[in-house]
Amino acid sequence: MAAGVRPAPGDTPRSEAGDRWQRALDAPRDVWAVFLQARRRDPHIYVGDVHAPDAEMALVLAKEGYTRRDPCVNLWVVRADQIHATTAGAEEMFEPATDKSYRFGGSYRQQQKVYRSAWRLSHREEDQ
Amino acid sequence: MPASSMPVPPMPEAQPAEDDPERLARFTDRIAAGDQIDAGEWMPENYRFEALRLINMHANSEIMGALPEREWIPRAPTLARKMALTAKVQDEVGHGMLLYRVAETLGRSRDEMVTELIEGRGRFHNVFHYPAETWADVAIIQVFVDGAAMQTQGALRSCSYAPYSRVLKRICYEEDFHIQLGLDVWRALAEGTPQQRAMLQDALRRWWTPIIHFFGMPDKVSPHTEKMLAWRLKVKSNEELRQQFLRRFVPIILEYGLDVPDTGLRWIEAEQRYVYTEPDWEELKRVGRNGGPKSAERLALRQKFQRQHAWVREAISHGAAA
Repeated sequence: MAAGVRPAPGDTPRSEAGDRWQRALDAPRDVWAVFLQARRRDPHIYVGDVHAPDAEMALVLAKEGYTRRDPCVNLWVVRADQIHATTAGAEEMFEPATDKSYRFGGSYRQQQKVYRSAWRLSHREEDQ
Repeated sequence: MPASSMPVPPMPEAQPAEDDPERLARFTDRIAAGDQIDAGEWMPENYRFEALRLINMHANSEIMGALPEREWIPRAPTLARKMALTAKVQDEVGHGMLLYRVAETLGRSRDEMVTELIEGRGRFHNVFHYPAETWADVAIIQVFVDGAAMQTQGALRSCSYAPYSRVLKRICYEEDFHIQLGLDVWRALAEGTPQQRAMLQDALRRWWTPIIHFFGMPDKVSPHTEKMLAWRLKVKSNEELRQQFLRRFVPIILEYGLDVPDTGLRWIEAEQRYVYTEPDWEELKRVGRNGGPKSAERLALRQKFQRQHAWVREAISHGAAA
């Protein structure tokens, strides 16, 4: 994807969708998105949908459909048409415009090299 | 992007004459580069049609595929087997629900697809049109039928329609459990009394042809096949998948000293493939048009339950209205 083409919110990216960078999902009214939390320490993760007339039924069906064997401590359901999402055509806005290596720990390893050479110096073979 | 909670594109009023050539070229390039298409994105009408046909048929097969094994839940030999079989059947119905939702993102409502299926106008895999006569049939279905399906579905995990490939990941994970469970039933019978071994051998004999049929006729070199492969709605050819299946599953039969029902089966070392007796492909076509030995009976059963459970659907939606 072309570097530097980064639509700001409100901008219209040139995209396959042709128009918008965000929109509400237009799923049928009876479709609910299911979010599952496997353990308390984990976030809720989108796992799929169920068809249901109301939230209570959606939770019942989500339990049957998505928690048959793997761990779950909590379920969320939300009407899929209430979810707003960035469009596929706007994916390029996630492409970094510049080198982002300064945001990663791996870019700052000089001190480790210092330690390693210090260790080598102080553990010369003839001393062993 | 969330798997299947994506826009349902409206059914086109009339078939559009031609896809915009510029968009079509961009689409083709994306897929060739290994990219996947998500629900709600632009796609050629013909791609939508083929993807929908594939996924709709897969969904139908999960629902109808639950029925032969379901017949054995009340007659399972032990409580442990009964619980495992119930879990397996429940998984299959769950797969059907996941898949109908994915198909829905391609432009048909779930109700429409389910109605078409139970009225006998839909298609489902050939293997689910056959009877499950004995408990040994359960072993054959779980090991060989699910094993065959696993080859196809495993390959399709890298297909170009992202929502389908996402649910296939989960489906294959559960199918693997079905095969392990089946191998346990298979082993118990294969290590059992002469009568149990004979029962297993007989079930294998009855299922062999439908299983060879399962992968379809060897693909003709045709513009259609080439397009399906180029669009990655097909990842491996029918024959490639059949050979992959034979390489993995023929040894299981031989290890237990059972006979492969095809006396013409030979391993060609130099080509790393099996030759097998050409099955009657007319039978596959007939069965595929819902003309198999159990097609009518299972569809009638499905219709009966649809009527019998109408009150449940009604009660649920009344609660919502209140």
